[in-house]
Amino acid sequence: MTMTLKRLLALLAALTLLVAACGDSSDDDSADGGGDDAGQDDGGSDDGDSDDGDSDDGGSDDGDSDDGDEVELTQGDGVLAAVQARGELNCGVSGAAVAFSTLDAEGNMVGFDADYCRAVAAAVLGDAEAVNFVELTAAERFTAVQTGDVDLLMRNTTWTQSRDTDVGMDFGPTTYYDGQQLMAREGDGFSNASGVADIDGAVVCTNAGTTTEQNISDAAAAAGISITLNTFEDFNIVTENFISGACDIITTDGSGLVGRKAEQQPDGEEWVIFPATPISKEPLGPTYGQNDSQWADVINWVVYATIIADEKGVTSGDVDDALANGDAEIVRLFGGEGELQSAMGLSADAFFQVISQVGNYDEIYARNLNPVGLTRDGSANAAWTAGGLIFAPPAR
Amino acid sequence: MENSQPSLTIDDGVLPQAAALPPEEPSLPPGEWIKKNLFSTPFNAVLTVVFGAIALFFIDLFVDFVFSEERRWNGTATNLRLLMTQGYPESQYIRIWVSVGFLAALTGLCSGIWNAGDAVSMKRISTWFMSTGAFGIIAIALSPLDTGGKTTWFIASAVSLAIGLALWYGLGDQKRRSTFVRTPYLIYGAIAAIVASLWVVPYGNYTFSDGVLTNEPDSIVAFTTRWPWLVMAFILIGTYIAGRFAPASAARVFKPILIGLWVLSPLIIVWVILRDPELDWDHVISTDIPMALGFILIGGALLYALSKPGLGEIGKLAGFGLLLFAAFHWLAAFFGWYPMLQKARLSFLFLALFAMAAANFAGDRRTRLQLVFGWGIFMAVLHYFATMINTASTLEFRGDFFLGGYALTLFVSVMTLMLSFPLGVMLALARTSRLPIFRLLSTVYIEAIRGVPLITILFFFSVVLNLFLPNGMSVSETAAVVTGYTLFSAAYLAENVRGGLQSIRRGQFEAADALGLTGSQRTGFIVLPQALRVSIPPLVGQAIATYKETSLVAIVGLNDLTRIANAIIPAQSEFLGVQMENLILISFIYWVGAFSMSKYSQKLERRLGVGER
Repeated sequence: MTMTLKRLLALLAALTLLVAACGDSSDDDSADGGGDDAGQDDGGSDDGDSDDGDSDDGGSDDGDSDDGDEVELTQGDGVLAAVQARGELNCGVSGAAVAFSTLDAEGNMVGFDADYCRAVAAAVLGDAEAVNFVELTAAERFTAVQTGDVDLLMRNTTWTQSRDTDVGMDFGPTTYYDGQQLMAREGDGFSNASGVADIDGAVVCTNAGTTTEQNISDAAAAAGISITLNTFEDFNIVTENFISGACDIITTDGSGLVGRKAEQQPDGEEWVIFPATPISKEPLGPTYGQNDSQWADVINWVVYATIIADEKGVTSGDVDDALANGDAEIVRLFGGEGELQSAMGLSADAFFQVISQVGNYDEIYARNLNPVGLTRDGSANAAWTAGGLIFAPPAR
Repeated sequence: MENSQPSLTIDDGVLPQAAALPPEEPSLPPGEWIKKNLFSTPFNAVLTVVFGAIALFFIDLFVDFVFSEERRWNGTATNLRLLMTQGYPESQYIRIWVSVGFLAALTGLCSGIWNAGDAVSMKRISTWFMSTGAFGIIAIALSPLDTGGKTTWFIASAVSLAIGLALWYGLGDQKRRSTFVRTPYLIYGAIAAIVASLWVVPYGNYTFSDGVLTNEPDSIVAFTTRWPWLVMAFILIGTYIAGRFAPASAARVFKPILIGLWVLSPLIIVWVILRDPELDWDHVISTDIPMALGFILIGGALLYALSKPGLGEIGKLAGFGLLLFAAFHWLAAFFGWYPMLQKARLSFLFLALFAMAAANFAGDRRTRLQLVFGWGIFMAVLHYFATMINTASTLEFRGDFFLGGYALTLFVSVMTLMLSFPLGVMLALARTSRLPIFRLLSTVYIEAIRGVPLITILFFFSVVLNLFLPNGMSVSETAAVVTGYTLFSAAYLAENVRGGLQSIRRGQFEAADALGLTGSQRTGFIVLPQALRVSIPPLVGQAIATYKETSLVAIVGLNDLTRIANAIIPAQSEFLGVQMENLILISFIYWVGAFSMSKYSQKLERRLGVGER
């Protein structure tokens, strides 16, 4: 009897030991138990209150506390307060999206999306480096927001109706207007002026399990042509097959194609990207849990601040000068007279920190996307004054 | 296998096992050998030519692929650090080297003290050199390298071939078969040669430091690579020599310590060396040490009392009472009734388990003290690591876990093996138990887990586990994945061990009963040792599978070796699409690990006589 009982208990012990030993980094309960960790301000949630201890999820508490939203706003019980208390922004990124979020050889997260995470951290915490980058797969990204694992998604997520409503996400201003295009060899008779109607009979390749597959099928059907569609596990393999000649045409978001062309086009061959108007609209931008307007305002205005600074020509190099001598809008935005940041729950110089530590929209774009051959001129990502779509409401 | 004459030169003389073998035919010179074995009949000659041509074709494909102009090996070379440790802070990198050095010292000392390894005849060694040289010449001839590169590699291959031929003809038939070299000399010699080559051979210097990309294909590797490896080689070989020449009395003392260090080395490396906990000494002195001492002394006294012979039912009742007490604390933790250090809960639980085992140590004073000392050491280790793990780290890292790349691969596989082994043994025991409830529970568990693909379990644990945990409690992604993987691996290990358990003959049980052993003594001293010995081949097979299948964690987004090679590096804008190169490298890394384990298991089987008895 004792022996068999012991076996079961030892089994139990091994399990508990496992959970206890491995969960150290996040298991506040065990560390706080001794009463010595005064630094953990959410200690109050540890003592067993069932529901309201959830300080970390702005996304999932909307269902049962709709009437409490106003109170939450003023008391700062949303994601903003949680991030400020934690001193670190959990930002969900891809980690493997060319030029948007990748690990460099030293293990730092770099890219356009990564810089926008840093911009939010600079605004909320005053330190652009106070970001904990959480690498998420496409499948788990929305769950991660709903469980509060991440405060914000900067994971080249397309803004769609279903995600905005059904999935329970809210979307911030678009930071990058992308769209699906096709790439072919000039030697095969294609040019930048080609259209979907010209690819009749071609072998088109793309990566499996994404909307690109659906988009190209729809476009081909609409143009009344037939194509052979081959899909591969990831886009590196798609490109390898294109180089080897197994595919006549490859298709994915335009930003991805430009990068591939810049890096992998063999000597003596010319790749062309078409059609000029993409076959799909892929507005990419920040994504967060719904019904937390305070947090939404913060994210949105971080993006707008980078755009306004670009509009006014203020770069990270001359922020001090702009604060001292700039026009009224920039001075307000940077925390001079009549600032509005305090009302948002941020420090007055929040956007000053964003521009000085991370840079304006153009700087962020140039730093990350120019190296792979993406330029703003003439694209949808030019400023609205230059015929593009990058626009911000006035800061006043 | 004990060799009483430690020496660093070639061991002359015939080893006992070699003497026991039947006398061989005199070996043929290479030309004769080829004639006899490859072209003995016309049909065999055709087979040799056809399959040789097929082999050459594939070698050609592979060599063309590896040495192709299109391969961008600089992408892989620049990212070696990312592949090994991902974002471990550069300023703290010395900790990685201390860890490697710690393992090197342990390996060296152990192989020295136990005088590990077999003996290899000079005949085999010269064959190795000759075949490496011949293969090299063929492969280089087929490769698309330019003349300069081909010449260099030809010379290297020719040197290998020449060494082989010189050994073959220089020693003569009798001598090359009766002269043996111990494998540690060969292995450590090879390591020394590789490390020395870092200082002379222009492998290329590709570094990425502080945002600056250095790309010098014709220079030797960066000093941040060659210096540490030189030190590691010295540590490995130095400790081996120290171990070989250690006096027997010292060796006797060191052996149990070394075994203990091996078992604890993953914990020491990850949570003490790499994580660098910043101890709060006031708290350690005021709380941690008194608490550990309290448990050691009071628990020890209690265990001493409980192991008194003839206690009978009172002992069992006391153990059971302690267990209820411990279980109550865990419940309290779960529902958050009152605060208590996790360490104390763990200690109570283990005290209860020790107390229930106390009856087995009922005997004379010495036996009872063994239990008490075992408890003391166990508690000291438990409290030490619990304190270290619960202390905040000084490392400046962002993210879920401070390890990535190959370090994470090793962490996941070692942790999974360490945790799933005891769990698997217990499941196997439960499945062969006489009590139907244990049999049922264990069978249901094992069959349920074995019926689910590993990747499903990993997804479940990485995505869903946190939704099921009580409020305020969460588990990091790495911990969740290790938990899921452990539960998976334990089910398979349990089946392997059960196979061993069922091979134990009835008579062994009866003999144990006849000696008056208790149930747990019978299991611990008679059944399990024999069962585990029989299970070694499948257990090692499972260990190898575990090591390789850690690559699946890439799919749930952990940056292990595979994900960095397959997804991260090809996405870097400097090295867009550099994927095949990385995959070739990591295949080699996985192969080295798996092959070493497989070789070690073969040796273990031979030593324990599996399949012979």
